[in-house]
Amino acid sequence: MKSDTLHMMLVYTKTIMKAWFQYRSNALLSSLTVFLREATGIVVIYFTLLKFGTLGGWNIYEMLFLFSLLFLTYGIMIIFFTGLRDFGKTVRDGGFDRFILRPRGLLFQLIFTNADWFAAVGHGGLGIALFLISAGRVGIQWNAVNILYYLFTVMGGVLIQGAIFLLLAALNIYLLETNSLKELFYWNMRKFAGYPISIFHKAIQVCMIYVVPFAFVNYFPAQYLLRKPDMAQYPQLYLYITPIVGIVMYLAAYGFWKYSLKFYKSSGN
Amino acid sequence: MFLKPYFAFAKKSFLGRSAYRFDHFMSILNTCLQIFIFWGIYQALYGGRSEVDGITMTMVSTSFILSMGLKAVFYVDDYFLPSKVWDGSIANEFLRPVSFRGRMLAENIGNAIFNVIFHFLPALLISVLLIGICPPESAGMTVCFLFSTILGYGVLWTISFAVQAAAFWAINIWSLATLKDVLINIFSGTMIPLWFMPEWIYEALKITPFPYIYFTPVQIYLGQLSYTEIAQQCMLQLIWILLIYLLGTLLFKKGQKKLVVQGG
Repeated sequence: MKSDTLHMMLVYTKTIMKAWFQYRSNALLSSLTVFLREATGIVVIYFTLLKFGTLGGWNIYEMLFLFSLLFLTYGIMIIFFTGLRDFGKTVRDGGFDRFILRPRGLLFQLIFTNADWFAAVGHGGLGIALFLISAGRVGIQWNAVNILYYLFTVMGGVLIQGAIFLLLAALNIYLLETNSLKELFYWNMRKFAGYPISIFHKAIQVCMIYVVPFAFVNYFPAQYLLRKPDMAQYPQLYLYITPIVGIVMYLAAYGFWKYSLKFYKSSGN
Repeated sequence: MFLKPYFAFAKKSFLGRSAYRFDHFMSILNTCLQIFIFWGIYQALYGGRSEVDGITMTMVSTSFILSMGLKAVFYVDDYFLPSKVWDGSIANEFLRPVSFRGRMLAENIGNAIFNVIFHFLPALLISVLLIGICPPESAGMTVCFLFSTILGYGVLWTISFAVQAAAFWAINIWSLATLKDVLINIFSGTMIPLWFMPEWIYEALKITPFPYIYFTPVQIYLGQLSYTEIAQQCMLQLIWILLIYLLGTLLFKKGQKKLVVQGG
């Protein structure tokens, strides 16, 4: 790590925030739009539960708590991983060649030279709002152990999703275009993740735990704090390992990324 | 013939869609997954009960399959007009001897017909095999359903047209279009069948255009409305189409006058 790395991180972050928030009212409107767009599913489940009371034994506040982890982790993750989300475009228009020429690590540059602040504020703000509404109403004792558990779990959830983005970015080096894969493996699986996975078909549950492990981002952590009866069908161990899943997945994705870089060919111009 | 160029536009957009096979396959999968998710949620909500408020589980599945399927058919690109305003090519469009609005509609209809055949029908087939659907009530009702569906498309299209016409005035059309989608998603019955909405919201929604897009056709398909009620509902659909179209046209005409395109 070079001595001015920290300084560069700060300069990059400051410049990018300036760029995103240059037009203040537009930035506010765009962030609010993301917030409302993402809140759609939550408003719908709110109305639905006014009618039905509970979903698979989960009441509305427990559902909001489950959702809050999903949005909060995405909001934090996208601050760091926007460059990987948009990596396909960077490769296709040759922008990645410029990164290679600079005297800094490639991943460092991808992480710190862009951040979708509208998504971060929209998703993250929604996550925080849902947390504030639900955290005091679901019977969680917010003692030191639980707070520590929560912080590590959020970190794990961020790493799990970051690892998926890193893996897809690495695949981009071979395939040039991975938007459809991202749609299939990330966004479509994420649609199930807001709900208690126990209500879905077994095949979906297996996908959510072992293939694209969103269950570790919000379902199992929420279960640790809430202890709903539907946890009985899963190994108790899963309640504790979100940070480990995150770290292992991220290291594996990082290894694959490093390996894949050897095969990078410029798209030319 | 007067309509000939518009048929050409419709055909062009129909054929244009056949180019991206994999993306198209993904979007069918997407529709099926949406249906499957809501079906799973309602299976859990019903918890083995045969009906809730006189609505059976099969009726709920039917509602989701039809409205999600129609949502795929009704897709309108909200940025067609805005993008032409942004890059200035709208100026050339106005010089052509065809109506710009007519061309928009023709291209969208070409797209919709493509989606009926290659998106709605496959998604319908998969959903029927996996989760089942109520059979059509009667031949007469099916005809009414198809008619009301076309009017529902009209309501959605005019809303999109009005939003697009706002591009002459506002820069952030993305926010406007997204907010429109949020309202439609929540209040048109695609994500929560309106039977299950709180009573007062459902009543209030009847004086907005939202239930007339997807929910009216679904109710007709399920045979929940008498022929008199169907006539009333279709009238309301027509009235909304006219009102919103007038609003859109006003924005469009005034915008056209104030439009300044930069550069040569």
